[in-house]
Amino acid sequence: MKRYGDHRFPGRLFIVEGIDGSGKSTQLMLLHRWLRSEGYGVVFSEWNSSMVVKDTTKRGKKRKLLTPATFCLIHATDFADRVERNIIPLLKAGAIVLCDRYIYTAFARDVARGLHPPWVRDLYSFAVKPTVAFYFRVPLEVSIERLHGARAGFKFYEAGLDLGLSEDPDESFRVFQGRIVDEYEKMVPEFGLTVIDATQPIEAQQEQMRQVVLSKLEKAKQLRVAP
Amino acid sequence: MKESYGVTLPGMRLNDLVGKLIVVEGTDGVGRSTQITLLKDWLEQRGHAVLNTGLSRSGLVGKGIKRAKEGHTLGRITLNLFYATDFADRLEHEIIPALRAGFVVLTDRYIYSLMVRAMVRGLDIEWIRNVYGFALKPDAVFYLRIGVDDLIPRVVFSRGFDYWESGLDIHSTEDMYESFRRYQGALLEQFDKLAEEYKFKVVDATPDPRKVFEKLRAGIARVVEGEPAKPSEIAEGAVPFAPEPGTPAAEAAKDKGEPGAGAKLKGEPSSPVELESAAAPASDAG
Repeated sequence: MKRYGDHRFPGRLFIVEGIDGSGKSTQLMLLHRWLRSEGYGVVFSEWNSSMVVKDTTKRGKKRKLLTPATFCLIHATDFADRVERNIIPLLKAGAIVLCDRYIYTAFARDVARGLHPPWVRDLYSFAVKPTVAFYFRVPLEVSIERLHGARAGFKFYEAGLDLGLSEDPDESFRVFQGRIVDEYEKMVPEFGLTVIDATQPIEAQQEQMRQVVLSKLEKAKQLRVAP
Repeated sequence: MKESYGVTLPGMRLNDLVGKLIVVEGTDGVGRSTQITLLKDWLEQRGHAVLNTGLSRSGLVGKGIKRAKEGHTLGRITLNLFYATDFADRLEHEIIPALRAGFVVLTDRYIYSLMVRAMVRGLDIEWIRNVYGFALKPDAVFYLRIGVDDLIPRVVFSRGFDYWESGLDIHSTEDMYESFRRYQGALLEQFDKLAEEYKFKVVDATPDPRKVFEKLRAGIARVVEGEPAKPSEIAEGAVPFAPEPGTPAAEAAKDKGEPGAGAKLKGEPSSPVELESAAAPASDAG
């Protein structure tokens, strides 16, 4: 069983992290387009785990059956499925794999829910260490402002309503996301996350991202090209 | 007071758990569920409220695990974490509330079965230990021990070989019989290691179920009712297990200058208590 940092694969793994409304998904989509146009074999790994795990997670959320512990463990199960069936085989085959959110999302959320930080880190230690982990740093107010225009209302667990921080979903979301930002900031030096200032124009962020990614592809000799 | 092996989960209070947590461990087909049914009846007759629980029975994950195993689609890390989720759900929603209410919780398998399965599949033992670090330390673990040679006829002449119990996810090229032998042998080897480390009370599961039940009953009465031993009632040749330090039985033994002694039950026939120590070799070990 290989632990975080022990895996050696011909492929490359780039992941994006940040709170909702940080713009990370947009940036990852743009990176995907560019890599494909450059002829790389690139796969966008979504949170589409096996139906069995997914159904359980959905049920747990819908019926509000999840405690901080089971919320953490069912997501770790889901993530493990994605790593074992999707990410590792792709990296072995020499693909460039892109992930929207990775283990750092779990560390931020689960620790914000009161779980023991070293325990959660060890739980996820089967994960492959990313080639580069981008963190899109944005002030909480900016992200909330962006979300306000985009959608109506927050979901129960997303707003941390299971924690009883506030009866008001907006207020609960704000407090919970604030905790998550604090956890991300701690992880920047701990895991060497590459910080992108997400208040910059979209084009400027993408340019930075592409430069960092390019520097990691130059040394990679065994990458697949797209058919 | 109860404690966990490692971390404590958010919101988990352990200082008011007055019930007893008793684990019955053992491999597939060794007769755990038969024994638990008998034990539950017997404990209830003696006035104890009993919760009977076991793996994959959680409201959250139970069905999901069964479906996943039918499709044989999950990887080893994923399946292990699925079980850990099931365990956490039962611990928080069944086991702890029952212990708080003063129940005797009889659990058919515990984290040890999950640990040995994961170890046999090549997962890192330190990782597994950490994952299950939130588990409560039980008041006692009774390990029903059997050798592969004694186990095979029981399985063949009852329900037959099963995909997972034969470890076919690991040795997929062999026939069921060979695979079962190899897989169960590997499980038993790991169980023996854990037996020593976690101080299981080992019960020889080869005799007929009635005899096994008598032994279990004697051990469990001591845990639940704390009946101290009387030296005169220890049968010759029997190997009593030492009570855990700090338990009423251990305190009672200390008062009498005995380092640990066998027990006699209230109102039970004076059959000898023959619980073996964890280090005792099985008839076909190795």
